[in-house]
Amino acid sequence: MSDIPTPERHPDIPSRRRQELAALGGPWLEALTASAVAIVLTDALLPDDPILHVNPAFEALTGYPAAEALGRNCRFLQPEPAETEARARIREALATDAPVTADLLNRRRDGERFWNRISIATIRDGHGAPAFRLATQADVSSEYADDPAARELRASRRSLAEVQERLRVVQSVAGAAGAWEWDIASKRLVADARFASIYGLDAATAASGLPTAAFFAAVHEEDRMRLRIAVAGALHGAEVFARDYRVVVDGEIRWVAARGRTYLDAAERPLRFAGVLTDITDQRKVEERLHIAQTAGEVGSFEYVAGYGTAEVSEQFCRLLGLRPAQSLPVRTINALVHPEDPALIQNRDGRISSGTASHEFRITRADTGEERWLASRGEYRAGLAGGTIFTGVIYDITTTKRSEAALRLLTEKLEERVEERTQERDRLWNLSRDLLNVIGPDGRLRAVNPAWTRLLGHDEAELIGTSIEALTHPEDAATARSHLAHLLHGEAIAEFDIRMRTKGGDPRWVSWTVVPEGGAIYGIGRDVTQRKLLEDQLRQSQKMEAVGQLTGGIAHDFNNMLTGILGGIDMVRRRVSQGRLDDVDRFLEAAMQSGQRAAALTHRLLAFSRRQTLDSRPLDVAVLVRSIEDLLRRTLGEQIELVIDMGPDLWSAVADDNQLESAILNLAINSRDAMPDGGRLTIGGRNVHLSATDLAHSDRGEAGDYVEIRVADTGLGMPADVLAKAFDPFYTTKPQGQGTGLGLSMVYGFIQQSRGDVMIESREGSGTTIRLFLPRHHGAPDETPAKPRAAALPGTGETVLVIEDDPAVRLLVLQVLQELGYRAIETADERDAVPILQSARHLDLLISDVGLPGMSGRRLAEIARASRPGLPVLFMTGYAREAADQAQFLDAGMEIITKPFAVDELGQRVNRILRTKGMAGPSSE
Amino acid sequence: MSDHVVPLEEMERDALTELVNIGVSRAAASLRKMAGQQVLLSVPSLEVVTRGGAATLIRERESGDLVAVRQDFEGVFSGRALLIFPESNSMALVRAVAGSALSDAEAAEMEDEALTETGNVVLNSCLATMANMLQRPLTMSLPQVVRGNGVGLFELMQVSTEEGGVVLFLYINFAINDRDIRGYIAMLMDLPSLQALRLLITEFIRRVIGDEV
Repeated sequence: MSDIPTPERHPDIPSRRRQELAALGGPWLEALTASAVAIVLTDALLPDDPILHVNPAFEALTGYPAAEALGRNCRFLQPEPAETEARARIREALATDAPVTADLLNRRRDGERFWNRISIATIRDGHGAPAFRLATQADVSSEYADDPAARELRASRRSLAEVQERLRVVQSVAGAAGAWEWDIASKRLVADARFASIYGLDAATAASGLPTAAFFAAVHEEDRMRLRIAVAGALHGAEVFARDYRVVVDGEIRWVAARGRTYLDAAERPLRFAGVLTDITDQRKVEERLHIAQTAGEVGSFEYVAGYGTAEVSEQFCRLLGLRPAQSLPVRTINALVHPEDPALIQNRDGRISSGTASHEFRITRADTGEERWLASRGEYRAGLAGGTIFTGVIYDITTTKRSEAALRLLTEKLEERVEERTQERDRLWNLSRDLLNVIGPDGRLRAVNPAWTRLLGHDEAELIGTSIEALTHPEDAATARSHLAHLLHGEAIAEFDIRMRTKGGDPRWVSWTVVPEGGAIYGIGRDVTQRKLLEDQLRQSQKMEAVGQLTGGIAHDFNNMLTGILGGIDMVRRRVSQGRLDDVDRFLEAAMQSGQRAAALTHRLLAFSRRQTLDSRPLDVAVLVRSIEDLLRRTLGEQIELVIDMGPDLWSAVADDNQLESAILNLAINSRDAMPDGGRLTIGGRNVHLSATDLAHSDRGEAGDYVEIRVADTGLGMPADVLAKAFDPFYTTKPQGQGTGLGLSMVYGFIQQSRGDVMIESREGSGTTIRLFLPRHHGAPDETPAKPRAAALPGTGETVLVIEDDPAVRLLVLQVLQELGYRAIETADERDAVPILQSARHLDLLISDVGLPGMSGRRLAEIARASRPGLPVLFMTGYAREAADQAQFLDAGMEIITKPFAVDELGQRVNRILRTKGMAGPSSE
Repeated sequence: MSDHVVPLEEMERDALTELVNIGVSRAAASLRKMAGQQVLLSVPSLEVVTRGGAATLIRERESGDLVAVRQDFEGVFSGRALLIFPESNSMALVRAVAGSALSDAEAAEMEDEALTETGNVVLNSCLATMANMLQRPLTMSLPQVVRGNGVGLFELMQVSTEEGGVVLFLYINFAINDRDIRGYIAMLMDLPSLQALRLLITEFIRRVIGDEV
């Protein structure tokens, strides 16, 4: 069957219509049917004119047998259903039953196309109504054939409109392009409306033909000559014509692209020069901008289709590579310029990549100068219209950036080198240092040690790492080390401290540490100061010896003077007694006595400054005490000096030995007086203060808390710094030889320190001196000061007193006093004599004992005595005893102490008072 | 020193390009007849360079070996012309020109002959057209096939002038049955010849401009 699209068929044509047709056509129809003219008869009464009859000529023309044609409309011969001008004309004619002739492009049964000239006439019935249509058909393809003869024929037969039609087709094919045809022989130019519009020509005139000069008229002056030359080439036989140029219409410049061909006749003579013209102004603008952008930005573009040996490139592309400008370059040429170690410029030759973007950087050696440059390439893969993958990309120079990068990298490397050098320097320091360097972790264990550790302490590094610092410290200093470490781990910096480290052999080495906590770790530098410590010890020893020498020298000097007074006085008495001259004996005895008392005062001071005097510390009211010595002070100071007493209200009670405090204040007042030779003012003030541990940093035994301050301030000469520094040193005096012992301030200092207080001194040359004494506060009311009986000793009534004294002179003296006062005295020298008596049943009323005895001490003997005789009064005698320095701690109830040297009367009074008190208080021990 | 020498003005270069275009179009017509295939030739541009420059141009554009047909010409202007192809294209050209039915062996055997013939057609057409258009006679030697790389080819182009001369360097597009084959035409001539050519071109320009419009 036919492969032609089949319009609707009318298979059952009634035979009646055939008969009607035969009746109407008669013999004419038969003759026509038999002729060589192809004939088709259709039924005008039925819708869509179905074919009633075709003749053999039709069958020959179309290749369709009659059976296949009957019942169908003639349209089945048309290859395309598209409406054409010719078909429209036929339809119009049939609507009015008018005759019509038209050429239609039809298709034979075998598919071949041919131009079918159809003439249709309507056959009317007896009433004049349309009944049938008769169409003759003829093949006129030869008229449409594209050969010079046919063209000639056509040109002669077709109107100019047909040329225009063809141009319109060209135009529609070429989009917005205008078309021209330049007939070389007739020198006429025919152009379409679009061409005319671009050239500013009248469309109708252009369509009807113009002199060929019109091709150049609108062309920009600068382009005209070159265009003429190109056209001349075309007209002389150059087959390919391609020119871009400018046309100027009404002052407006437009860019056009003209592409043409020269058609030759059979004798190879140029016949026709035809082509299309496209307005490329916008494209050109874009291209120009792109070109400027690429040139200014030095961006080269390229396009590469995978698999090809060449790439399309821009001028700038070539310039960047140092190649001669070209539109296409072999990939090998391009890639050969790329540094062998770098990725190729043109990639994807095998087409493995089909989409996506790509970018890479590479070095090239410029083809012209041989210079090495860095380029970057960026682009995109996409599928080409004709298949294959196209890479469209750009390249640009990044040498400067790369050089900066390189410079930066070099800099970084140098920096690293420098850091490395520094590190090496540090390492060298670390390794060569004689000081111990170490890092301690937060766990207190060594994390890093330098070789000095091994050199100094003998431990291997491996032994040290991970060892706690405490374990390496001398046991005596371990506590200190622990405490420092705790502080450091809390982030507190400790400037310097000295501790002893243990060597592997066990010997201690003194190390002075500077330690800084940072970032959780502790960094330490330790210097071996063992040698220094030794030297310091030696120095201290020699200084001590010097001090002792100075002290003993001073004491010896004073004692010798005093001994001269005592011995000389006694000697003189002895002479006078032997001579029987007793009249001026008293004078000498008095002198000896005075010397003796001065010696006693001196030893007292020595003990005070050495903080070893026996203090009778008790609560006292400082204000009362100062006021009690106010008269004495005024007399001492003289009229030139104003005394101001400035006691704060509600002053607390202080704890101190009142006698010593009086003496200290007096001492300070005297110093002040001496510092104000031209008069001035001395202020003695008192107030309550609270001192912190920091305030008491220099105190020996002071603890943070409440204190009573006694301020002694003068308006005198003040002290220069060097004097101030030595103000409390013993035997240091600024007074002329013989005017001061140099023990005043040191005694005050010693007394206050021993009283658990503190002394501060402020002085500036010319601005007076202020000394502050701080005494610990007593919580509670001051004791009632017991009245000190000053009356002469009353005689005893035969009470028994056991005396233990190893010094025979003192023992003799004490026994003599007791006997003279009417006591019964038992004389013992030490425990050997005393203990049996104490443990015997002998009645005793009082025990008088020296504290410092050979063997058992006086305090121990008192305990033995009290074991069997509780409540036995005890009176200790002491010159100096360490343990008796604080009476309150040393003495139990019923025990008293008397300090040597004492006056005979004083001893008598004390014994007398004790025994009387005992008599009143309770029964004596038996 | 630049590889480029610009003894021709833009217009003169255009005119010369068109002359060559006319020439290669004629050659194409001849080849169409010879091969019975669609052959289209065109010359899009022309450069005037030194011999060294020409070698560089070729070297940059063609990394492989080259094959060339050489012909000397003599007349008002004299020199040596080369039609150059990448060697890889030469067999395709031979088949296109001599017929695709050839076996490989036959094609290889015929290669030089076919190349000689093609070169002869193209170069003759060009030079003859030029001579014709310029209305001056030229005589031409027999064509000769030479092979080598760019440098070698231009070394071969030694002409007996002390200056080495200039090269008119033309790109030529062969489209044979829609297949593109690139090639080059190089015309080496000395400066006096170039000067003579130039005068003739000027004359041609004057004529065509006056002639047509």
